[in-house]
Amino acid sequence: MWWLRSVFLKTLRDYRVAILGWGIGMGLVLVATMASVATLTTTQQAREQLVSLAAQFSWNADVVAVDTVGGYATFKIGIFIFLIAVWPLLAGSRMLRGEEDRGSLDVLLSVPRPRVRVALEKLAAIWTALLAMGVLIGLVAFAGGQKFGATFSIGDALLFGLNLALVCALIGGLALLISQFTQEQGPAAGWTGGLLLVFIVLDMVHRVVPNTEWISRLSPIYYYNLSKPLVPSYGVNVGAMLLLLALALILSGSSVWLFARRDIGGTVPLPRWLRLPERTASQALPVGDWSLRSVYARSLGMIAVPAMWWTLLISGWAVWVVVVVQQLQAKLSALLASSPAFINVIKNIGGGDATLSTGLLSAMLFFLPLFLMAFVVTQVNGWSADEQDGRLDLVLAAPQPRLQVLLGRFGALATATIVISLITLLATAAAAAYAGLNLDLGNLAAATLGMVPLGLLVAGIGYMAAGWLRTAADTGLLSFLLAAWFFISFIGPELKLPDATLRLSAFYYYGTPLLHGLQLTSVMEVVAVAVIALGIGAVRFARKDIAV
Amino acid sequence: MAAIIEVQGLTKSYGRKRGIADVSFSVDEGEVFGFLGPNGAGKTTTIRILMALIRAGSGTARVAGLDCWHQSVDIKKLVGYVPGEPALDPNLTGGQILEFFAHLRGGVDQAYLKQLIERFDLDTSRKFRQYSTGNKRKVVLIQAFMHRPRLLILDEPTSGLDPLNQHEFDRMVKEVRDEGRTVCLSSHILSEVEKTCTRVGIIRAGSIVRIGGVAEVTAIKRYEMTITFGDAVPADAFRTLEGVIETEALDNGHTVRLAMQGPADAVIKAAARYPVVSLTSHEPSLEDIFLRYYEGDAAAKEAEHVVA
Repeated sequence: MWWLRSVFLKTLRDYRVAILGWGIGMGLVLVATMASVATLTTTQQAREQLVSLAAQFSWNADVVAVDTVGGYATFKIGIFIFLIAVWPLLAGSRMLRGEEDRGSLDVLLSVPRPRVRVALEKLAAIWTALLAMGVLIGLVAFAGGQKFGATFSIGDALLFGLNLALVCALIGGLALLISQFTQEQGPAAGWTGGLLLVFIVLDMVHRVVPNTEWISRLSPIYYYNLSKPLVPSYGVNVGAMLLLLALALILSGSSVWLFARRDIGGTVPLPRWLRLPERTASQALPVGDWSLRSVYARSLGMIAVPAMWWTLLISGWAVWVVVVVQQLQAKLSALLASSPAFINVIKNIGGGDATLSTGLLSAMLFFLPLFLMAFVVTQVNGWSADEQDGRLDLVLAAPQPRLQVLLGRFGALATATIVISLITLLATAAAAAYAGLNLDLGNLAAATLGMVPLGLLVAGIGYMAAGWLRTAADTGLLSFLLAAWFFISFIGPELKLPDATLRLSAFYYYGTPLLHGLQLTSVMEVVAVAVIALGIGAVRFARKDIAV
Repeated sequence: MAAIIEVQGLTKSYGRKRGIADVSFSVDEGEVFGFLGPNGAGKTTTIRILMALIRAGSGTARVAGLDCWHQSVDIKKLVGYVPGEPALDPNLTGGQILEFFAHLRGGVDQAYLKQLIERFDLDTSRKFRQYSTGNKRKVVLIQAFMHRPRLLILDEPTSGLDPLNQHEFDRMVKEVRDEGRTVCLSSHILSEVEKTCTRVGIIRAGSIVRIGGVAEVTAIKRYEMTITFGDAVPADAFRTLEGVIETEALDNGHTVRLAMQGPADAVIKAAARYPVVSLTSHEPSLEDIFLRYYEGDAAAKEAEHVVA
């Protein structure tokens, strides 16, 4: 009850899982990069190769002391700023607009408390949460650094967390400001995400094109990168950190100022030339809309947009690795020659000789099914949330058997996974032809289309678990499964885990199709488990109380 | 008339939370049946069992002679349903939602659907998430009526509707009744049920406490009358009058508050003997009625007077 004493405490309470999850999770991502430094710098030659290799990727981040634990972690985390900024981006767009969407802000503002104070308390909660995340990331980074022989102090680690919190506060402030101009939180998050992408690209420009630093200075990411606390010899740029703080204050402050002056549920009026044409009321019906003809068609309509983005991610990743694999293999040759441990890791994942392009490619394509399964997790989450929030009630009140509703939704998800895999196959084949990479087309088809059974397996398990678990628990279970499977297959062979344990991972059955094709028995086993899980889920759904 | 809804000994519990216990009632074909009760009484639970959204722990529920759980798809062909809390895909427009449900029902008369949209003056181009509460209610009402179902099961259908649209809804219910179709609607507003229903069932704390014609049920309706006088008057002057159940003197005898049941004629005539400054009368909430009439033993006694 102590947590419910003020808007600030209540909002902070809402963020408690995110603080722990994001803080520790991001800290572990950082530590994971530190773990490989020792194996990459066993000899002076390997150390030089690492620096040389990093220089090839300098578009990603500044190459500063990359042969040290702190420097390598800072370098590797470069592009991950996009991932880290997801939480403040969502929190900022939800802070006021999300509550307005739900109508809960009306009630909150009916209490005798000034509107500005309510907004400031919520903002303070976000900033406190970011600070707490920064501290957690710093502490985890310090602990990891100690384990892997880093030279940075706890103060340096906390400064790293603070720098991260500042840039995140800026992104959150930007999302909050944009949400004052949008009717819903989604577009605010989307616009902020787009701007973040632009900022990242702007920051990259000066590392790729000489004499363009002035362009990069337009990006807040540039000022974030001016501090590298995990590299003690480089240190922090206090001025840059203060600038980030000032920008965050200006963005957040102007958001609160605008919020205090606009209608709740409305937006800040834009100049006439920027406004969208006014929508005229209509009583027309979309009679010819194909996506409304059945539960399956409607489910396809719902899944189309997220599937498109995930297709871009998955096929984009596949195309990128195919295009760069030969170049990468050449750069890695010396490093691989001096690091048997690194060769082993790649061999364990890819199933082949890391000194060959296909072996390396096989290891890098290992992430494709992981991405596809992550997409499936988001869709299972949607199914479970629809049931829990009562959005299936009216559908089930129509003369549709429950089984048909479930299979319609599952069928759309299965269709999406097949389409994503097919597009990935076509894109990868085209990329291989463009890059002059000689790949076995049959094996490439196996590597891409072989993702489908894994996607169906996750979907089947998710639909089954949704029969008993609430949305958060169902999503949590699937996420845990993915992480566990990935850990077993990624690290397990190196840890000499017994074969029986390795078989617990779905990736085991995916195998290394780019090199060895698909094993029919393995595919059948995965499909059989998926069908059984879906069958149990269907029986449970047909008998359960809906939205209870 | 044959019964279109037959509920016998229906029981449902949600773990430690109360659901419904031994609920029995029937609704004849062609009638408008009101299912009345305060919030949390078990109306929605009963309705959700009829719609096969949840399964009864024990007892039977039948619609048109069909078992509500095992033959639910056949039943849903006959039924139009409005849930208590309409939740639909927030990203679909009203028009898309109506078309989607029309397809799920195998197609509907588009002319009639357009007529319903016009009657409720619904803007079908807005997304569901952008609708006001009343407009969301209009969408689900239209989808319930659009296929001219033999039975309408409506859970608090007018919640959030403005008076004009409530009036339109009343007219639609009357039209349905005139066509010989059946309506079963739940509400916690006594006057609303009085207006539209021919028969009423009252549920409280998960049990049916009374079923009967509207006139029978409204006979239990109490109301309060507060009369303010220019001078102090003796409250006893009203105590024994017809229709008066309780009297209370306020403001040093200048105001008399009366709990009434039945005609107010005797009270008005008695009050006219004194200088009346103001007279107000208000209908107590259903909750008040339940609190007064069905507390403790009274509930058991009333239950014995159930009229089948």
